[in-house]
Amino acid sequence: MFPQQLINGLTLGSVYALVAVGYTMVYGIIQLINFAHGEIYMIGAYLAFTAIAVLHLPFPAALLLSMASCALLGVAIDFVAYRPLRKAPRLAALITAIGMSLFLQNIAQAIWGANTRPFPFEAIPKFFYASAFSLVQVGGATVATVGEIPTEVAARPDLTIVLQISWLQVVILTVSLLLMVGLHLIVHRTRIGTAMRACAQDQMMASLVGINVNRVIGFTFALGSALGAAAGVLVGVYYNAIFPTMGYRVGVVAFAAAVLGGIGNVVGAILGGLILGLAEALGAAYISSEYRYAIAYAIMILVIVFKPSGLMGSPAAERT
Amino acid sequence: MEARRRLVLAVACAMVLVGPLLLGGYPLRVAITIMLYMVLALGLNIIPGFCGLLDLGFVGFYGIGAYTAGLLILKLGFSFWLVLPLAALNGAIWGILLGAPTLRLTGDYFAIVTFGFSEIVVLVITNWVSLTRGPMGLPGIAPPSLFGHTFNGETPYYYTIFGLVVLTVILCRRLADSRLGRAFFAIREDEVAAAHCGIPIIQTKVIAFAISASLGAVGGAFFAAWFTFISPNMFKFWESVFILCMIVLGGMGSIPGTMLGATILILLQETLRPFGVLRYVIFGVLLVLMMRFRPAGLLAVERVRGEMRPLEHERPSQARRPKPGEDQEVPS
Repeated sequence: MFPQQLINGLTLGSVYALVAVGYTMVYGIIQLINFAHGEIYMIGAYLAFTAIAVLHLPFPAALLLSMASCALLGVAIDFVAYRPLRKAPRLAALITAIGMSLFLQNIAQAIWGANTRPFPFEAIPKFFYASAFSLVQVGGATVATVGEIPTEVAARPDLTIVLQISWLQVVILTVSLLLMVGLHLIVHRTRIGTAMRACAQDQMMASLVGINVNRVIGFTFALGSALGAAAGVLVGVYYNAIFPTMGYRVGVVAFAAAVLGGIGNVVGAILGGLILGLAEALGAAYISSEYRYAIAYAIMILVIVFKPSGLMGSPAAERT
Repeated sequence: MEARRRLVLAVACAMVLVGPLLLGGYPLRVAITIMLYMVLALGLNIIPGFCGLLDLGFVGFYGIGAYTAGLLILKLGFSFWLVLPLAALNGAIWGILLGAPTLRLTGDYFAIVTFGFSEIVVLVITNWVSLTRGPMGLPGIAPPSLFGHTFNGETPYYYTIFGLVVLTVILCRRLADSRLGRAFFAIREDEVAAAHCGIPIIQTKVIAFAISASLGAVGGAFFAAWFTFISPNMFKFWESVFILCMIVLGGMGSIPGTMLGATILILLQETLRPFGVLRYVIFGVLLVLMMRFRPAGLLAVERVRGEMRPLEHERPSQARRPKPGEDQEVPS
């Protein structure tokens, strides 16, 4: 069971990491907990759903379309709601973010209904649900197979499945990994990425050397929202269920992941996401499945109280 | 001026007191809801309004109060009048337990911790099925009785909650004018300066949190006795946001403002009921617009208005950052 929980935890964790990166980047630049980020994740899932169900797009196209639309949505939210409050106290911006989240969640409910919806089955590539790799024990021997478990093995009565990875899990892990590598390249190898890091260090100085700070902030929102949308789509397919409040809990866990990793630190957020994903999967298996969601909250509270700078953050003095 | 204010207040009280004679069942229920939320909003107001800390977990204390009252009445047959102070006490205890370790945090971090706390409260009352019956809720909480008369219909609840509102308002006013209240305001204006004036920061904040929490719990206890049914999904996060909206709308830190905010939002909620979820869309827009155009609220307190004015200088978090070349601060 343990290896299986490990893989499930990593899959979940990579999704949390994608969302957490959005929180941490925005916080790093404008010190705002973007409460609406979880809703972006939810809307991303719904947009992909609509693209597949209404426009009959293939899955990868729907994923890209949803990411692009959410990037625009993120920029629009920043422009309409947060930008006018740049110089306002942080409490005002935080309340605005909560208002935005309330707005988006209920707009989604008004558009797509409150019920849980599955993705249209025929639109999801069939191989997603097939086994990609498995490790089984038969009569004392351990057999590893790439692809489906052979029928003659599967029929054995003494078969125990140690580990089974579906192609969907492989896809989620691969897509997350690619997106994070892409993010790393953008942040560290491009002009706009350099500008982002400059703004995170000191906005005043950044603007003095000619960086258009508002554009950089907009770009940060776009980047974070696109990653959040991708996470929403992947989770929507993974659980095959999307609903208007799905962004709420993931948003909180992802924020917890960002805090755990040290808010403002992208690598920390990814690490935090993976840790919380693992903690949730292992906690549900070995501690209590009812309280699986409480684990993330508890970790978050403990980190904030005892080590507010997180695992990889800068000294706590800045934020207390 | 003072005499005129007293007259207005007396007339208002008289009008509220004769209310049940004129109002029917539904308007009376709405009036009770408004007054219940006035108690809750005034309780919450102590934290963001008086102390300047964003509390996103207020509904946790509301839930604790409701479940304390519901369980004591159902399982032990306690009288409502005994349960009310016990619920307040339990709220205060949890307020202190949560506040003592977390109140040294400020700003966003404190908000997030309180939020996490309220989520955990909901998870516990949902999953502790042997005690709370979990998602099925607690039905059949006995209505209170006074001098041998069991509460029947809305009218006795109306007078009870009116009494609670009056007590809460007096408490908040006396608090605002007290040494303790001044300490709250000092902390809100400038924590460092307040500490240098000799105010014990953490202790003062914990007291504020305990008072706020116990008012939330009183609201919850009344709600349990009035509604006679409670379930975990009544104490979700959005309830906290809803109460926060009232304060933001009315004017953070202002007692009449908070009461006005509660009245407006409950009336809005009732009149917009036919629109279903769209009313929450409206609440969301309302929060955004208020922060954009009138961040200090409808009945703004002068001090808060000053505070909500755009900052001219850089954010302190950036000012404190060590500059390149300077010696790096050693994290303590």
